[in-house]
Amino acid sequence: MSARRLRHGALLLLAAVYSLFPIYFITVQSLKTPHEDVFGSPLWLADPDFENYTALFEGAEARVRGFVIIPRVPFLAWLANSALVLVGSLALTLGAAVPAAYALGRLRPPGWRACRRVLFASYAVPQTILFIPLYQVIVRLGLDDSHAALVLIYSMMALPFCVWILSAYYRHLPREIEESALVEGATPVRAFLRVVLPMSRNVLVAAALFTLGTVGNDFMLASIFLLDPEKQTVAAGLGVMDVSLEELVAVAGVNLAAIPVVAVCALFARTYVRGLTAAMLEGA
Amino acid sequence: MAPAGALVLGILAYPVAWEIWASLTDFSSRAEGGPVFVGLANYGRLLGDTWFWKALATTLGYLAVTTTAKLVLGVGMALLLARPSRLRALVFLAVFLPWAYPGGITVIAWYWMLNPPLITSYSVFMGNVKHAVDGVLGAGAWAFLSVMLFNVWRGGSFTAVFLLAGLNAIPTELFEYARLESRSAWQRFRAVTLPLLAPYMALAVFLSFTTAFADLGNVWMLTGGRIIFPVVGTYAYWLAVKSGQLAEAATWTLALVPLLALGLVVLFRWFDPHEETPA
Repeated sequence: MSARRLRHGALLLLAAVYSLFPIYFITVQSLKTPHEDVFGSPLWLADPDFENYTALFEGAEARVRGFVIIPRVPFLAWLANSALVLVGSLALTLGAAVPAAYALGRLRPPGWRACRRVLFASYAVPQTILFIPLYQVIVRLGLDDSHAALVLIYSMMALPFCVWILSAYYRHLPREIEESALVEGATPVRAFLRVVLPMSRNVLVAAALFTLGTVGNDFMLASIFLLDPEKQTVAAGLGVMDVSLEELVAVAGVNLAAIPVVAVCALFARTYVRGLTAAMLEGA
Repeated sequence: MAPAGALVLGILAYPVAWEIWASLTDFSSRAEGGPVFVGLANYGRLLGDTWFWKALATTLGYLAVTTTAKLVLGVGMALLLARPSRLRALVFLAVFLPWAYPGGITVIAWYWMLNPPLITSYSVFMGNVKHAVDGVLGAGAWAFLSVMLFNVWRGGSFTAVFLLAGLNAIPTELFEYARLESRSAWQRFRAVTLPLLAPYMALAVFLSFTTAFADLGNVWMLTGGRIIFPVVGTYAYWLAVKSGQLAEAATWTLALVPLLALGLVVLFRWFDPHEETPA
C-alpha cells in the first residue's frame, strides 16, 4: 500500500515537473546576465539580474548602449490595452452566451438542436486563416486599428464553446427551480437573474476562464488588427517586436503580464473543473 | 440567442463566403486587373498538386500523433488527479498552467528551449540534437517536432483538466461496482472508465483538432516562418501573405472543410445523440 502511494506521489510530481518545466526554464533565462547566459548552467541561476524586467518600464524611446540599440516598449500601455480587450471580450462573450444558452437549453425554440450544432460548428472554422476577409469586415465596420475589433473577434472565437457548456447546464437544471420563483410572483427575467444565474456560477466561471485562455493565447490576430504600436496588447506587442524571439525582454514582459492571469487561474481552477463537470453531468 | 448568433455568424459569414468566392477566381495581388471567375480550376489544380498531398499527409500525421499523445497524457493525468492525495491541489494547478499561461510566452519558452536563438550555454547541446534529428528525418524535422511538442504540452493540459471534469461527472457508484466486479485495475480501466469517458474524449479530441488547425501561429513562431514540413494551414497562410496568391490560399484552406465536417459528424453522433433521454 505504501509502495503504491509512493508511486502515485512520484507520478504526480512528474506531471507537475513536466507541466511547469518550460515556464521555469524560460523564467530562468530571462533573469540571466549576458555573462551567465553563455557560461552558466541553463537550469539554475547563480546571480539573478532583473534588467529585462526593469527595461519594460523605462518608456518607449529606444536607447543606444555602445553599438547596440536597446528596444524599449510602452509596456504599461500594452498592459492596459490587454486588460481592456480582455474585459471587453469577457463582457461581450458572457453577455451574448448566457441568453443564447438559456434560449437553447431551456426555452428550446424549434430547431434549437440545429442552432446549437451550427453554433458549435463555427468553432471549427480556422479563424487564423480567415484573417484577410475578416480584415475586410473589420474595415467595413470602421473598426480597424481599434480594440473593439479584437473584442469582437475573440468573443466570436470563445462563444461557441461557452454557449455549448452553458446550454448543456441549463438543459439539465430542474424546471421546478424557476417555477417556484414564478409562483412567488417574480417575472421570468427576474427569476432568471436572481435564481438561475447565481446557480450557474460555476459554469459561468468555466466559460470565463475559457475565454481568458482564448484571449491569452492569441498574438497573431492582435498583431494583424492593431497597427499602432501604442495600441498593441502585451502578447502581440512583444511577440512581433523586430527582435522579439531573440530578446528576453519579451519573456520578461509576458511573464509579468502572466502573474495576474496565473493568480486568477489559481483562484478559479477548482471552480473551472466544477463548472465543466456541472455542464457534463448526464452527458452534455 | 439572437445576439450570439448575430455575433458569430455575422462576423464569420462574410469571410467564409469570401474564401469560397476567392477560391473560384484567380485572385492574386500580383495579377494585373481584377479577379476573373475560373470555376473549379483551382480545385482541379490542387488535386493534381503533389505538394498538396504531401502537405495533407503531414497535416494528418501531425493531427494523429499530437491527438494521440494529448489523449494519452490527458487521460493519464486526469486519472492521477482524480485520486485523493495530499499533493493533489498543487499538482492540479501545475497541470492547469500550460493551458492557462498566455500562449504567447510559452511559445517563446519552447522556442528558446529547443532552438536557442543566441549563443547560450546549452545551444551546442541543442544544436547537436537538432542535427541528429534532422539527419535522420530530413531537414526541418526538428522544427516540426518542436511544434508538435508544444501543441501536445499545451493541449494535453487542456485535455487533462477537461477529462478530469468528465471523470467527476461519472457517478462514483459505477466505479465502486467496478471495483467489486473486476480483478485488475487495467480491466477496470478498459471496461468501465474508458467507455464512460469516451464521449468526453471525443469532445476533447475535436477541440484539439480545431486548435491544431489553428496552431498556425505556433508553427509560424517556432519555425521562424520557415516552412519545410508544410501543414495545410501554414502553407495557405504562406501563399496568402508571402506570395499574395489569395485564390490558391483560399482553395487550400477550404480543402480542409470536408475533414472538419467529418469530425463534426462523428462528434455529434457520439456526444449529442438525437434520442432525447428524459432529463
